[in-house]
Amino acid sequence: MLLDPRSKMIMVICISSLALIYNTPARLLQLLLVTLVLLFIFSFNLRVIAGYLKPFVFLMFFLFVVQSIFSPGDRVILALGPVSLISIEGVLAGATVVLRLLVITAAAMLFTTFSSRDFILGLVQWKVPYEIAFMVSTALRFLPLFRDELKNVLTAIQLRGVDLKKVPWGKKMVMYRRLTFPVVYRNMLKAEQLAIAMEARAFRAYPQRTYLRQLNLQRVDYVVILLSLLVTFILIMRYIG
Amino acid sequence: MESCNEAVVVQALTYQYHASGPFILRDIGFRIDRGEVVVITGLSGCGKSTLCLCISGLIHHHRNGVISGKIILNGKDTRGMRGPALALEVGMVFQDPDTQLFSPAVEDEIAFAPENLCLPPEQIQERVNNVIDTLGLAALRHANPYYLSGGEKHLVALAAVLALDPPVLILDEVLSQLDSLGKKRVIATLEILRDKGKTIIAVEHNLEALAFADRFMVLEAGKLIRFDRTEKILADQDFLMTRRLV
Amino acid sequence: MFLELRQVGFSYPQKTSPAVIGINLSLKKSGITAIVGPNGSGKSTLTKLMLGILPASEGQIYLEGRNITEYSLAEAGRRIGYVSQNPDLQLFCASVAEEIAFGLVNQGCDVATLEERVNFYLDYFELAAYRKSFPLHLSQGEKQRLAIAAVLANEPEYLILDEPTNGLDAYRKRLLEEYLHKVAELGRGILLVSHDIAFVDRMAERIIALANGQIQSDSNQRGEGYLCY
Repeated sequence: MLLDPRSKMIMVICISSLALIYNTPARLLQLLLVTLVLLFIFSFNLRVIAGYLKPFVFLMFFLFVVQSIFSPGDRVILALGPVSLISIEGVLAGATVVLRLLVITAAAMLFTTFSSRDFILGLVQWKVPYEIAFMVSTALRFLPLFRDELKNVLTAIQLRGVDLKKVPWGKKMVMYRRLTFPVVYRNMLKAEQLAIAMEARAFRAYPQRTYLRQLNLQRVDYVVILLSLLVTFILIMRYIG
Repeated sequence: MESCNEAVVVQALTYQYHASGPFILRDIGFRIDRGEVVVITGLSGCGKSTLCLCISGLIHHHRNGVISGKIILNGKDTRGMRGPALALEVGMVFQDPDTQLFSPAVEDEIAFAPENLCLPPEQIQERVNNVIDTLGLAALRHANPYYLSGGEKHLVALAAVLALDPPVLILDEVLSQLDSLGKKRVIATLEILRDKGKTIIAVEHNLEALAFADRFMVLEAGKLIRFDRTEKILADQDFLMTRRLV
Repeated sequence: MFLELRQVGFSYPQKTSPAVIGINLSLKKSGITAIVGPNGSGKSTLTKLMLGILPASEGQIYLEGRNITEYSLAEAGRRIGYVSQNPDLQLFCASVAEEIAFGLVNQGCDVATLEERVNFYLDYFELAAYRKSFPLHLSQGEKQRLAIAAVLANEPEYLILDEPTNGLDAYRKRLLEEYLHKVAELGRGILLVSHDIAFVDRMAERIIALANGQIQSDSNQRGEGYLCY
């Protein structure tokens, strides 16, 4: 479905707001399902999300456990003598945090269903200064690039004969520590060179800028934007009230 | 007064990456006329890229660098000129294509410079189409530059600077990465630009690649050791041998 | 056979047409082979498949009879020294000397040999003056030489060099040629990817021409077949 990127941005904002306000696993689960359906409609490959989330599974599980233990509750499931460890309230709190994270991540994936240049156009046509629009877009793009960069370095290290899987933990930590500086530094160099390249092509030569393409809100976009805002407003009111 | 017929005038240029560091460029001076094609050559590490960065004014990004001397572009003293304003006088294609491409599509990459020049959309489209045609990039128009091959990235980087349409164009080892078809296209493009009165400065190791150039500049350990007509330098085998250029 | 490719194909997820397709190729453990072809014809992709950096989407690749998928990257890298097209992507140490020593240190090389080899490669590739410099601060040509030196220092039995002459001046190119010839005389194999026709002509005994991801010609004679590109 072809929607203006701005319509999608509004959706992301609506979903994220709801995710922050909802405080029960049931509501958040519903929200997650809606988000996934939306992604499906925008022909987003759900398997890619799974790929993105894979490295964070452990972190999420950890968050879940920590939240479960440290949220106080009366209905104790697991206790160590007189000290209650896990309660039903705790488990629910843990699930809430993890689900919230999932919803926001999934919603952010909507950003990847249009090009970063459309994102900039959307912001600029909403009167955001173009320098800021480019900055935000570059920052968003830099994250996956940083990941690629890290992958490249790890590949290079292994190709020089180091079996990362077989190196004992202690040695691995020493190696990683020594590599941290060069890897971080090279990314800084890259960012700087990127800024130079942009300037060399007259970026910020004038306070204004023109654009090859123009985004136009269609009738369907107005409908989607109004509907999203309205539904979100009603849901929030009902939830609070 | 500097005459406006001179595109690039460099006087007593000296550069160090930091105050206590070695001299990367020492007392360099030369003049290049409007519409001239000049090749800069020399062993790697002799200061060719640094000289290019000085001429294009981008060297100021190295905060610890110490520069002295004068660089005049199209009759304007570049000292104190802001980077983006300098971009209107001179365009530069860098050696490493990965750090100069940042758009999600080749078309956007090429449109970036004319957009910054505040051209109306029809004119931007025209420039983009022209550049895509001359460099034969039609098939890559909507491709993401990030996923192109090394040579293709170089062509796109060149295309993006050509769309800026600067009076002086600097190419830092662009030809060496291209296949023979790409080389032919780039050389043909450069010849057209020269006929239009553009000044072109190209860093090259392969002396034969740009034999149509008017003059050759030879650097050695940061010094300009020779700046002469192409035919004279290419015929001087003794010189080329002793300077290890062939 | 050292490397054997059977009906190998690969497509990048972002692209519609495959990068390489239906590649059948055998490489001996010795001799210098070159892959030539236009930009974007799949040369670099093919070498990445050979090392297992990219997984083949079709067909099989065997390194000394064993499927490349059974090797870890480190195992493949120890047998095949690989210099990729962009030196920036393979330099990761804090100094030039460390970069050259990296592989040797991890192989448990003793201090005396280490010292000797690092010095040798620093001298041969004229990098001794930059011994303590940060690799990414070097010029492009110097980075290229360092990337090559760091891989050669490991003395792997086979070498794959992707566009090794990029950024090298005529004099350094000749030094590299001499060194590679020496390596080849020791019975170690080399695969070059290049569009530097003069370089390929001086180096390679066998020339494989690639276009649109397919092998166009494979010949042991110089100056023929691949000229069409």
